[in-house]
Amino acid sequence: MSYILKTNQLTKVFEGKEVVSGVNMHVKQGEIYGFLGPNGAGKTTIMKMITNLIKPTSGDIEIFGEKLTNTSYEVLKRIGTIIEYPIFYEKLTAKENLYLHCEYMGYYDKKSIDHALDLVKLHNVDDKKVKDFSLGMKQRLGIARAITTKPELLILDEPINGLDPIGIKELRELFKMLCKEYGITLLISSHILAEMEQMADTIGVIQNGKLIKEVSMKSINGEQTDYIEVTVQDIKKATYILDHELGLKNYKIISEQMIRIYEMTATQQEISKALIMKDIEIESINKKHSSLEEYFLNLMNGEGIHA
Amino acid sequence: MLKLMRLELMKFKFGWYIKGAIITNIIMTPILCFVMYLEQQERDSMITMYQEAFVMIGAMVRATFIVFAAVLIAKIVIEEYKNKTILIMFSYPINRKKMIASKLLFIAALTFITMLVTNIIVAGSFTIINSYFPIVPFSITANQYFGEALKMIPYSIATAGISLIPLYFGMRKHSVPTTISSSLIVVMIACASNPAFSMVILFN
Repeated sequence: MSYILKTNQLTKVFEGKEVVSGVNMHVKQGEIYGFLGPNGAGKTTIMKMITNLIKPTSGDIEIFGEKLTNTSYEVLKRIGTIIEYPIFYEKLTAKENLYLHCEYMGYYDKKSIDHALDLVKLHNVDDKKVKDFSLGMKQRLGIARAITTKPELLILDEPINGLDPIGIKELRELFKMLCKEYGITLLISSHILAEMEQMADTIGVIQNGKLIKEVSMKSINGEQTDYIEVTVQDIKKATYILDHELGLKNYKIISEQMIRIYEMTATQQEISKALIMKDIEIESINKKHSSLEEYFLNLMNGEGIHA
Repeated sequence: MLKLMRLELMKFKFGWYIKGAIITNIIMTPILCFVMYLEQQERDSMITMYQEAFVMIGAMVRATFIVFAAVLIAKIVIEEYKNKTILIMFSYPINRKKMIASKLLFIAALTFITMLVTNIIVAGSFTIINSYFPIVPFSITANQYFGEALKMIPYSIATAGISLIPLYFGMRKHSVPTTISSSLIVVMIACASNPAFSMVILFN
């Protein structure tokens, strides 16, 4: 498997404090890599190091199979970025901004400007200066700028900030399309889990500057478990019945009245029937499945205690 | 390098600079005539020879354009850092040293050209006005004028260099006011009218 981006023990120290410590991340060619972590976890710092805006304290970054050094300028030609929030030359119009971008990037297909504006659905902005744009429009323009030059790697830091729900949906489709049809690899950071869940192929979870886990969505989906949650008055009796009548072994007592049954051999009906037959009052019985959100919250909380 | 400078030109739209330079040209000539006239009313006038008149014109022009250059620095260097647009610049596949160097070279070149042109125009119009309505007790011949005009070139080069000094102060806190006010200090030192302390005299 070829990695388009690889970091090796990447560490950054700001004023004696480790902001990013020992990150080993692997981004495969042609996937959407979701960078997930709470605010201030070090996502932006890592992205800045990848785009050569700040220098790592130690460790190194390998991009397109080459090591990133102080003078790796050529590599930047193949990357499109938005870091932190989109910044523009405010006194210029959207098109002038994109034109300048193309010139600096050494990209001369000027048709791509209109095409990019079209892709992010930014219309009728010809004479408007960027300083009059709303945050959502700037966000869209930022993405347009990042994709005008058809980069191989797209690094987007919180690209859905400040967008309305429809906009978010549109952009999600756009990202997927870019990934599939143009074969662009995307590195997207966000603190919004649900968003990542719907887009990413691989998720890297970062907290307190450490990359806790790097998993592909497919494997998480496999790990997701369904369970039946039963609330009863008499928990001892209930567990006895589960054990002896239904032969269920894989359950967990959550509180004094709540049991979670992970084994799916018995249906909800069978369980409730068995319990009622033995005169146990059931307050509620539900079938649930633990979502990705829970998975990550568990992951982060667990790590939180260690740290 | 030239391409980078051309892009800077596009990015920052320098209409205001050209306008400013033209206005400077228009205003400076009457002020100069007025100052020369007052100077002659005093008993021990400093301006007794045509060279001194040119030194004075040169000092005025230099003072103006050092401040102009500081505004340029503030606009195309300091403000890029302040607005963080420099981060965009740094994400381009261009050597960063070259990028900054092209900005500075651009400022220096623009300052040099406008300074030289202004100097020639103001001194020229003063010469012409003086030949019709004598302000100073001497006339300036065409030959003298061209000789002085040639001398303006090295001065302008030197001043273009000096005009970059405010960058140092401005970059410390990325502050526009600091840049402009430090340029005023540079003006006071470089264009002091007291001949004993004037750097202009040192150059001679």
